Amino acid sequence: MRLLAELAAIQSRDGAVSDAALRELAEQRRVPLYQLEGLRSFYPSFRAQPGASHRISICRDGPCRLAGKARGEALAAALAGHSDIDVEFVSCLGQCDCAPAAAIDEHHHGPLPSHDTLAAWIAGAGDLPEPATGMTAPLPTDPYAGPDEHYATSRHWLCEPADAVINTLEAAGLQGLGGAAFPTARKWRFTREAPGGPRTVICNADESEPGTFKDRLILEQAPHLIIEGMLMGAAVIEADTGIIYLRHEYERARVALAAALARARERGVLGPDARGPGQGFDIELFISPGGYILGEETALLEALEDRRGEPRHKPPFPVTHGLHGGPTLINNVETLAAVATILARGADWWQAQGCGDYAGLKYVSVSGDVARPQVLCLPWGTSVAEAIAHCGGMADGRELLAFSPGGASTPFLPASAAATPMAFDALREAGSGLGTGALFIVGSGRDLADVVIAQARFFRNESCGKCVPCRVGSTKGVEMASAAGRGEAATAVADELRTLHQTLQRTSICGLGQVALLPIVDALERFPDEPSLQALQGAGHE
Amino acid sequence: MSEVTLTIDGQSVTVPAGTTIWEAAAAAGIDIPVLCHDPRLEPVGVCRVCAVDIGERTLPAACVRRVEPGMVVHTDTAEITAHRRVLTELLLADQSATSRRETTTGDDALYALARKLEVGTIPWPDGSENTPRGHDTSSPVIAVDHQACILCDRCVRACDDIQHNDVITRTGKGHATRIAFDLDQPMGQSSCVSCGECVAVCPTGALTHRALPERPAHLEEVAS
Repeated sequence: MRLLAELAAIQSRDGAVSDAALRELAEQRRVPLYQLEGLRSFYPSFRAQPGASHRISICRDGPCRLAGKARGEALAAALAGHSDIDVEFVSCLGQCDCAPAAAIDEHHHGPLPSHDTLAAWIAGAGDLPEPATGMTAPLPTDPYAGPDEHYATSRHWLCEPADAVINTLEAAGLQGLGGAAFPTARKWRFTREAPGGPRTVICNADESEPGTFKDRLILEQAPHLIIEGMLMGAAVIEADTGIIYLRHEYERARVALAAALARARERGVLGPDARGPGQGFDIELFISPGGYILGEETALLEALEDRRGEPRHKPPFPVTHGLHGGPTLINNVETLAAVATILARGADWWQAQGCGDYAGLKYVSVSGDVARPQVLCLPWGTSVAEAIAHCGGMADGRELLAFSPGGASTPFLPASAAATPMAFDALREAGSGLGTGALFIVGSGRDLADVVIAQARFFRNESCGKCVPCRVGSTKGVEMASAAGRGEAATAVADELRTLHQTLQRTSICGLGQVALLPIVDALERFPDEPSLQALQGAGHE
Repeated sequence: MSEVTLTIDGQSVTVPAGTTIWEAAAAAGIDIPVLCHDPRLEPVGVCRVCAVDIGERTLPAACVRRVEPGMVVHTDTAEITAHRRVLTELLLADQSATSRRETTTGDDALYALARKLEVGTIPWPDGSENTPRGHDTSSPVIAVDHQACILCDRCVRACDDIQHNDVITRTGKGHATRIAFDLDQPMGQSSCVSCGECVAVCPTGALTHRALPERPAHLEEVAS
């Protein structure tokens, strides 16, 4: 992971990663030029040429498109003649609570400014991004009253056998909260039992799916819980190395994490005796050079090994063959924080937090047509309708038209499904999924076809390009759907899109390609009478 | 070395542990189509036409997946053929009207697969018109047709792993990805030594010898 860090340093120093800089690096590090070109061209935070003195990046996805596509385009048009400002449209910035979101010079992120406030916004280019909307420390899942108490939980549990830790997580019923819902206790047990090394604990802090910003809040407000969860993971799998893989847009989170890591080292929580006398553990904060696909755990590993972030074939899985071939425990931010909460308060307490038979507390990012988009911390099993009510209800007097409960890969459900509990099984049975816990609300009067095509376009834009079905299939599918949506298709496209989706779903290497066309294909089935989708259904549809 | 017994298309096959499904099938006389795979290269499983059904949620790449005891593999179901046809159509949709490999040496693997799968009219938007990728004729020896490239990674592995010339990479991301030389220099200005290994392994008209004459037109076969 040294080359990517060096490329990032060059980009930061020169405003670009030039050929000259790469030739010098190739000489110094004795690496071939082709390898550096492969890296520079793959990661969006690297540029071959320096741009104008300022760059405005406007989010083009999901909630931001819904809230302000026209505003973004108007600003871009107004600034077209300014040679000192570049305007670009980029994938989700993880600031869906500020929709439409934008960034200036890749630093200050927040709501897209108006023409009147543009100058002041550009002047504040070095400021930290807006904090995530929702709540401030201590979070409802934080067992500590203040910083002095931090890490009391791990102090206790490090003296207990690893099996007791795993059994507690199992009793709590914790599942992976990055979207995959894999039982956490099983993952920890598999990794513990896997032989060999090096052994590594990784926190996946690369949430990037449109509508998803709940990890941002946890990273900003409770970094100590993430560190504590990683420390317990390290104790269980006997790892001496930890890495937090953080998306580069989360600068406020980076500052919070860096401070928390420094404090943990000062207190000896991290360091040569972190897991016990002579049993060290420390955590490196690695800043991703960008791209949604890096949140796929094997793409993330490729990046950490200085390659293009292209997902690996599985099996083998990271629990046995992860970073540098060794057993690797990769968990999402919210999962690791929940580990600390569960170990502090007990599995019984966690079980008692949910609605009815559901266990625990869940952070949910709510975006789109609600009055106050924000991160909520809800008892598991809270209904979608209740979540909307917690955000002040629908915005602008709209009625609920449809909602996607878990990020761009989870199909939209109609308003009639709003009583569905926010839980993995209930939403799966309803035909969608809890995914990343990103509830994207679309109100009446919106163009649902435009929304679902934009979801597929996001996946097309973020395809790594490794395998044919995703690279070519997502491109052709989005092209056909977009043309049909504009009324430019000669024939109906619904059947072709279904055929294409089946091939992508069954043959793409990773989850991105497998779901790339799902938002469109599912909506065509589920919303047969939706007016905006008729152009895709075709003339033969009744 | 321990052995593994599995079933491929109803046949019981016993092979050494660590064998891939593609190798095991080949040993049993079962031909699984490939575009990106070459037995001399480490498999990458990116073209996906060697997809096989082992009862999982997705269809793994036979060239990558290792055999397991008791595995039941289907290599040629109606579903698999349908997916192979779609994948082949997708690649053909981005091709130029003719392949220089097809019109010279006549052994373009993509066109051969299209004939085998009886690919007819291609329903996907034409990428050669909408998003042209261009040619590179800077090398006096090797002609580069980016439009014909299917990003199988064979030339990358041949250049970097077989010959250790370390020149070729993939540049860019997503559908805009293409092969590149050094820091994306024209091939003739790169550190390429014109060894020809990339031409030898290329399955399409992307990398061909410039000196080759065109075949007589009556020998041309074009899919669809």
